[in-house]
Amino acid sequence: MHRPLEGELVRLRAREESDLEVFYRWINDWETVKYLGARYPRTKKFETEWLASGDPSFTNSSFIIETRADRRAIGWTGLHDMTPENRAATLGIAIGEHEFLDGGYGTDAMRTVCRFGFEMMNLNRIDLTVFDWNTRAIRVYEKIGFQHEGVLRHGMFKAGRWNDLVLMGLLRGELR
Amino acid sequence: MNTRPYEGRLVRLRARDSEDAVAFHSWFNDWQVTNWMGVRYPVARGREAWFVEHTPEPGFTRAAFAVEALADGRLVGNCELQCELEDRTGTVGIAMGERNAGFGTDTMRTLCRVGFEVMNLHRIGLTVDASNERARHVYRKVGFKEEGELRDHRFIRGQYRGTVVMGLFRAELKREETQ
Repeated sequence: MHRPLEGELVRLRAREESDLEVFYRWINDWETVKYLGARYPRTKKFETEWLASGDPSFTNSSFIIETRADRRAIGWTGLHDMTPENRAATLGIAIGEHEFLDGGYGTDAMRTVCRFGFEMMNLNRIDLTVFDWNTRAIRVYEKIGFQHEGVLRHGMFKAGRWNDLVLMGLLRGELR
Repeated sequence: MNTRPYEGRLVRLRARDSEDAVAFHSWFNDWQVTNWMGVRYPVARGREAWFVEHTPEPGFTRAAFAVEALADGRLVGNCELQCELEDRTGTVGIAMGERNAGFGTDTMRTLCRVGFEVMNLHRIGLTVDASNERARHVYRKVGFKEEGELRDHRFIRGQYRGTVVMGLFRAELKREETQ
């Protein structure tokens, strides 16, 4: 029987205040932030508070992604904006350590967090939005079963221009 | 979409407001109400007001309602569902100030319908005093199955009493009065 928070390559764990150093570096690194909704630089104070802001729970389901091999923190993921009646949540994910952008770590983390959402949180739907130019991420999402559900035209103004956001969704039973 | 989710045949569920505390206070000091509830000690007026004041707005984890008669809007009881987010299970709490079987049955049926149709629950459960035959009859009529008994679970008014555990799934809810 698999361990619910473990994939092939990565493990999900709770945020710790000791993650501040890496987290502060990731959240202020344009190479990471350019794929995300985040816009402004963040203070150490803000990130300290965020890291301490509660243990994972249904309404606060946020994880650090670490490698199984040497327990190195490489990114973060979470399921948020859930409505228990709809049993739906929105997924966010980022790999902060660039050398882990290839090699299947992101795919494995996506699979693990989605499986956790369906098996442990009893969700029925997980969705996400992604920049239409982020083809590497879109390929990962397609690979594990997410379907294209629409485009939010001019969904986000970032880096001096309008960007379209692709809306993708995954229903229980569709995860590959 | 044509059924009003919080209305039954006789009663309507609504959010609790501070002025409800006066009636709740009299019910929770009436042994005919508390006899079945495991309430042992008297409740002060101010404490009851505090409870009502601190009841959260109805939501998934706790959906607490006042029950009023559809006919004239008078307060006749209260009820609530406390739910687990991942399990999608709800636990019923119910207390009727007016002991009229029609109100109790209609309140239970309406509350369970809210649980399944508004909140998307998988299971609704409750516990009831084993010697409370009238309530057990009402719950069975609504569709609850008796799942077991905790023997000599509570000591009330000089004797031990059992507690019966009951449960209901969506498809088991009996919507209409079946005579």
